[in-house]
Order: sequence, then structure tokens, then C-alpha cells
Amino acid sequence: MSDRVPDCTVFLDGSAVRAVAGEPVAVGLWAAGVRVLSRSVKYHRPRAAFCLAGHCGACLMRIDGQPNVKACQTALREGQRIEHQNSWPAGEHDLLGAADAVFPRGMDHHTMFTSPRAANALLRKMVHRLGGLGRLPERGGELAALPSGRRRKVDVAVIGAGPAGLAAALTCAQDGKRSVVVYDEQDRPGGSLLSHPRFGIAAADALAAEARAVGVELRCHAAAIAWYPEDDGGLLAIDDGGVLTKLTARRYIYATGSYDVNALFENNDRPGIWAARAVGLLATRYRVKLAGRTAILGDGAYAHALAEALASAGSNVEHLASERVLRARGRLWVSGLDLEGGRRVRCDRVAVAAVPAPASELARQHGAAVELRAKGGGFACLVDGRGATRVDQVYACGDVCGFVGVEAARAHGHSVGRAVAESLA
Amino acid sequence: MKTIVCRCEDVTLDDVRHALALGFRDLEEVKRYTGLGTGPCQGKECMALCGFILAERGCVPVPFTTRPPVAAVALGTLARGDEEG
Amino acid sequence: MSLPRETDVLIVGGGVMGLGIAYHLAKNGVRDVVVLERSYLNYGASGRNGGGVRMQWSTETNIRLMQESIELCKRFAGELKINIWLRQGGYLFLARAEAERARMERNIALQNRCGVPTRLISPAEAKRIVPELEVSELVCAAHNPRDGIVFPWPFLWGYANQAAARGVAICPFTSVERIVPTGAGFRVQTSRGEVRAQRIVNAAGAWSPEVAKLVGIELPNRPHRHEILSTEPLKPFLKPMVSLLSSGLYFSQSMRGEIVTGISVEDHDDGHVKMGSRLQFLTKVARELVRVMPRLSQVKVLRQWAGPYDVSPDGNPIVGEAPSVPGFYLCCGFVGHGFMMAPVVTKYYGEFLAGSARPAFFDPWRPTRFAEGTLVKEEMILG
Repeated sequence: MSDRVPDCTVFLDGSAVRAVAGEPVAVGLWAAGVRVLSRSVKYHRPRAAFCLAGHCGACLMRIDGQPNVKACQTALREGQRIEHQNSWPAGEHDLLGAADAVFPRGMDHHTMFTSPRAANALLRKMVHRLGGLGRLPERGGELAALPSGRRRKVDVAVIGAGPAGLAAALTCAQDGKRSVVVYDEQDRPGGSLLSHPRFGIAAADALAAEARAVGVELRCHAAAIAWYPEDDGGLLAIDDGGVLTKLTARRYIYATGSYDVNALFENNDRPGIWAARAVGLLATRYRVKLAGRTAILGDGAYAHALAEALASAGSNVEHLASERVLRARGRLWVSGLDLEGGRRVRCDRVAVAAVPAPASELARQHGAAVELRAKGGGFACLVDGRGATRVDQVYACGDVCGFVGVEAARAHGHSVGRAVAESLA
Repeated sequence: MKTIVCRCEDVTLDDVRHALALGFRDLEEVKRYTGLGTGPCQGKECMALCGFILAERGCVPVPFTTRPPVAAVALGTLARGDEEG
Repeated sequence: MSLPRETDVLIVGGGVMGLGIAYHLAKNGVRDVVVLERSYLNYGASGRNGGGVRMQWSTETNIRLMQESIELCKRFAGELKINIWLRQGGYLFLARAEAERARMERNIALQNRCGVPTRLISPAEAKRIVPELEVSELVCAAHNPRDGIVFPWPFLWGYANQAAARGVAICPFTSVERIVPTGAGFRVQTSRGEVRAQRIVNAAGAWSPEVAKLVGIELPNRPHRHEILSTEPLKPFLKPMVSLLSSGLYFSQSMRGEIVTGISVEDHDDGHVKMGSRLQFLTKVARELVRVMPRLSQVKVLRQWAGPYDVSPDGNPIVGEAPSVPGFYLCCGFVGHGFMMAPVVTKYYGEFLAGSARPAFFDPWRPTRFAEGTLVKEEMILG
């Protein structure tokens, strides 16, 4: 399954690690046997990648002197300096992890040690000293050396180059009558296609090529950061590879997809507990061999597709479609799950296939209404049959309107793209 | 043992239940009391999850205000953003 | 909480002022108190400010009150049973122009007379306090090591909980729609029914002109939108709150490690309270911040928000009984520094309403001063 050949050397806390250049740091370190990437802010619990999509904040590390860098979104390269954060003396041996045992279920920091004054003063001093995550960046940059901004005007702006966004863009641009640009924060187009074992890179690239062929401009490493209704009468701010772009369009299509969420059980944050789509990325996009046993939690279509794909690739899979998990075992890495009813499952990783939550923030900022839907995974964007939100010129398609998965998202994208084209005809 | 709701800020399920027991009823308030959703991911992983916890207890969950930026952005990207090159 | 039908004191505004007054009233035996808040606690400026507490002011009234306020902050956790995370890392004011030096010297002299240990220091000394500062553009700085920062939200929970424990009715999500003076008090129509009150305190911050209008009073204060941002959490490195006099930029590092920074951007809100975020704030504050601390240029912004300043014409608050409407008390116009003054102001205001002597600050801050034309301008307004 794997054709990964390490071709570069990086330094983790000063020690050499062989890795595959271009792979994300989080993936390369994991494949090299590194288990703990950093420690959590309050209890110093071990942390490692969860979503591999740059959304969850689980894999922040210090990379080349910059703090709080997402290890899952940073490509490995020769000589890179990578450091654990918030742990002492090392990631896997953190003495401050004692805090985790002192507060076994959580804490109310508002009301603890409010008196006597000496205890309160000590508390404040400790909290201050232990607060924060990464250390200040090693270096900054003079104002004059920083990039200036850019202004852009297009007919149709699509946010998100997943199945919905790509489909909407290509349908909308097909007749060649309007400029369509797609922005995506990831390093390549595809979105949830990339993590789906039945689609993957080939399908993502094919759809992207189809879009480019009809004139769609695809911009990666370009995150939409906010809709600002009051600046220049309304603009979408994009961080386009470190350059601020102020974008205005005649139509906006939010195809921002969905975020991976965790399931609720004790020690659900143990390293080795991944979002199912992250495990899908490991297997499909990064082609890392999944040695040992994978427990898959969840009964959705994706959970079944992943279970099938891993099994047919010869991986050992335990699919827990409807069992209730009580707790995860393992100190620094998951070693098993305790299920309701007393059953215990041994595993080397867990893939949590909870329904992903719609990434509806941008659409909400732009005035779209949302509604909490259990089947849709969270706050789903409300649209009519054409994908129109309650705001003129603002459309949404795919998982952002309630999780539907790759195929339905793509179909929705096509139909919304058609509606947007018609609205401009 | 902890069940983590917000990974960025180490907010546990017990912390959320404690806030609800104190009378905090909506996501804005639970966010402020527990710190949930205020870390590096700004609630991407935990807000919906917390919304469902509130809904189970009969609250009508409205998402907390989406503060810009939706994706973290470097000060250096913004500092000369008004000059057009 | 169900809405009482009658009360002695009705406080409009569940911010730090209203809740602080309610707590001190109850502590001093007046428990028949209702606090109305239009939204959740911490919705307004009290939940949106940067948490600075400083003694560096240009008028003796403000200097002396803030000395006492910081003393009260030190006792807050013990008294109100909630942590407010006071950290006295100092305030460092930076001057870029010679004209600012003269103003600084004058204010420092006054502060020293009041017992505040502010010192005028050189740019090099400022750099010793904050090594990451770019000081080449600076002429001098003012430093008081006893100024500090707090975490604002728990103040409100602390006041609210302790007031409620003494019988005060705290009513969130309740707005005031109509107020009718009855001669012997007021009939107040709210979104959740009617309350009769002997006395009313208008502690509605930026909304206070609207509330005053309900009894026919035209207040001179106006809302101004002020924006703030917060960065990713960093290990503690920045001790004081730093502020540039020329631009009004300020920044500090919170207990959680975030850089919290704000600067004023012109608004066109025409007397309306607006709390939307703008890109023009983000670019302006980023530019000023990187200029004074280039090391921050790759630090990432996590979120931005806005809150309403309640701006009076002379930069000073408006407090006391409204001359035209007996029983209607004002506690507003605090221009973005109400939060830091609340511990001391609400203590004396609450005690006064409970029967103690009229506090000294009621005189310089009286509502009639605008008509009299006897204004004393406060210079040290930030943002």
C-alpha cells in the first residue's frame, strides 16, 4: 500500500527524524513513530493530530521558530526545526502533566482559592506563569518588508474547493460568460474528496481539472477570513498566501464544508483518536500503512466506506457502529476502548465518525440564517431550492447546509451553480 | 476521568454541566464561563457539540457570534493591507 | 428570575456599574433592588473591554479614585468569592513627540503628589522593561509599575451572585420600554411586565441617553464604537500594558497569554450603538502594533470584537440625581474607563443610595456642569 520513501531529515527538539518531504509535519512525525506532538493548555494532556484538516487546534507545534503552527498544514522540508509546545522537559515526559490528576473531572477556575489572599496571590502567579501556549516568535518583520494588500472584483466567488464548491464553480462557469474564482485554505483542491476512500486525490484532481478547463480560477492556501459588511460597502477578506485580498463579487457561494467533531467519552482526546476523515486521509491521500488495529466509531455512510476500504487493504478493523464507548484506554496513545456492557476492545487507533459540523461561520457573517440539526451535524445554513440564503446574492451548498457527504454535496453544488448562473443571465 | 468538549481550552463535559447548573443557559454564556470555543480553533470543533448538550437540556441553542477572522491571520498580513500593491 | 412588581431601587443596566451598585446597596441594607439587563450579563461594554486598570490620569479626582479602585481589586476575590486575575504588571505610556513629553511631565508631577510612583523614563529604559519594543521613534515614556490588568467577566458574575444572595433581583433579557414618573416614584414598563420603583439608576452605559430620553432628559454623552482584537496564546513575555499616546494604540498580554490590543477607528454610527467588526480596524491596529513591536508580525489574530464607549463631552462621567427628575439617578458617561473605575464608584454610589454621605466625585461629575460651562477635561483617554 505504501510507497513512501523518507527523503529528508528534520529535527524534533534537536533530534534527527527521517521524513518524506512535502508531507504534513503531523503525518510525517506520526509515521516516524512520534506519538505526542504537544501538551494541552490547562492540564498538559498529551496532544496529537485529530482532524488533519487544519481546523481543530490539536496539533500545534513550534516550527522553524514560529509558535502554534498547525503541524497538519505545514509541509515537511529538509532541515526543519520542529519543537513540542507547552511541555517540560519533553513532549512524552511532561512533569506539568500532574495538573491533570489534581483536577480529575475539570475545574472552576473562577471560584478556586479566592481566599486567603496569600493563596490567591500564589494562584495568580502560577496561572500567569503557566499560561499561554507557544513562545513568542523568534523573529518578526519590519513593516516595510511586509506585503501590501490587493483588491479584486469577480462575478462569482466560491469559498471552498471541495466537491460542492468545485461542482458549483464549474457549472457556473461552463458557458464562459462570467469570471469564477474558488478560494480554499488547503494546499490542494478537493476538500472532503481527498479523505474519502472511494474518491481520493485522483477524483479531486479530475474535478479540479474539469473546473479549470472551463476557466475557473482555483486558489489554494487562500483562506477566507471574514465577511466585513461595513468596509467599502461589504467585502470578503481573503488571506491569499499571506497577502490580504479584499474581494467583492456579484454572487457569493459558500461551500465551506464541515468540521470534524469528536464523540463524548472519557479520555476522548487521547492521541491516536482521530477523526474518521483524518484516518481516511492517512490511508487515501498520504498512503501511510495503517499497521495494527483500527476501531471505527459510528454508523454513517462514511464509517462504513472507511471500514470497507481499510479491511480490503488488509488492515485489521473493528467497526463499532452502534456500541456506546465509555472511555479510552492508554496513557500517551490510545490502546483500547471500554464499551457499555463491560466489553473491552483493544486497538492501536480510533477513527471517530461523528457527523461533521457545518462550517457555517462565513455564511453566518454574511447574514445567512442557521439552525441546529442533529442529522446535519450542527448549525446548518438555511437555503432555498436554488441554494439561496435569506440574503440577496449569497448562496450556500454542500455540507455547510447540513452534512450530506461527498456525492450529495457535489450534486448540490451542481444545482446551486446552475441557479447562480441563471441569476446572472 | 475527563471527557473533553473543547480540546483547545481543556473544557470538560463536567465543566459545561457545572456552568449549566449555575444558571448559564446559552452558548454565549457557557462560552464565557467555561472558556469553551475561545482557543486556537475558535469553536470549530466544540460549538456544535456544546449546542447539542444545551439542546438536550431544553435550551434553544443559538450559535455564539462568529468573530472574525474565521481563520487565524498573521498581523503581518494585515499591517499593510490597506496599501494596494 | 421572575420580575418583581415593586421595588425601592430599579437599576437599568446589568453591566459592572449597575451590578456593582446593586451589590453595595444590598451590602448596606437596601435589598429591595432590581437590576434590568437587556441581554445576558457581559453583553455590553463590561464584557468587551481590555481590562486595564491604571492610576495614570490627568486629574486628581481620577488618580485618587483609581488608586482606591486598584486596592479594591486586590480584595475583590476574597470579598466577592470569584477570581478577577489582577496582575500589576504596570502601564507603560510611550511618547513619540516632544509635545507629549510636556504633557507627560505635568501629569506625572500630579500623580506623584497623589502618591503614585510614576516615573518619566528614557526610550532605553522602556526597552529594558519591554525588550521587544522598537524604540527608535520614541522620545520618552511614563511608567507606573502598580497599574495592571484584570479579567473583566468575573466582576459581573461576582457582583451579581453576591447581590442575588442578599436578595437583589437580577433580571437578564429584560429591556425597559417606558418610564412614567408618578410623583412618588416611577412606573416602568419592561419587555417582561411592569415594575413600580421609588428610585431609578440609569447605569445603561452607551445606552444611557436612550434610557434618559424615556423620562425626557437629553444627555450629552454619545456611543462610540471601540474595537479590540485578541491573538493566539503565547507564553508570558509582556509585563506591562503598553500604550502610545500619539495613536491611542494599547496592548497587553492577558492571563491566558493572548495579546489584547485596541485602537480607535472613526465611526459613523450617529448616536446608535453598533458592535460590528471592521477590517479597517484590523489593518490599522496591525500596522501600529507591528510598527512598535516588529517581533509580533507573524503572531496570528484569533478574534476581533467591538464594544461601545459611552463618550461624554469632557471625558468625565455624569453622575448624581437628574435635576429635572427627582429620584432618577445617573451613572454614565465613563468614556471607556468605566470598568476600571467601577469598583470604587459603585462602592460610594451604593453607599450613598443606602443613606451615606454624597461622595466627593459627585461634584466634579455633576450633570449640570455642561449647562454651567465648567468643564475639566480629562486628557488621558485612550483608544
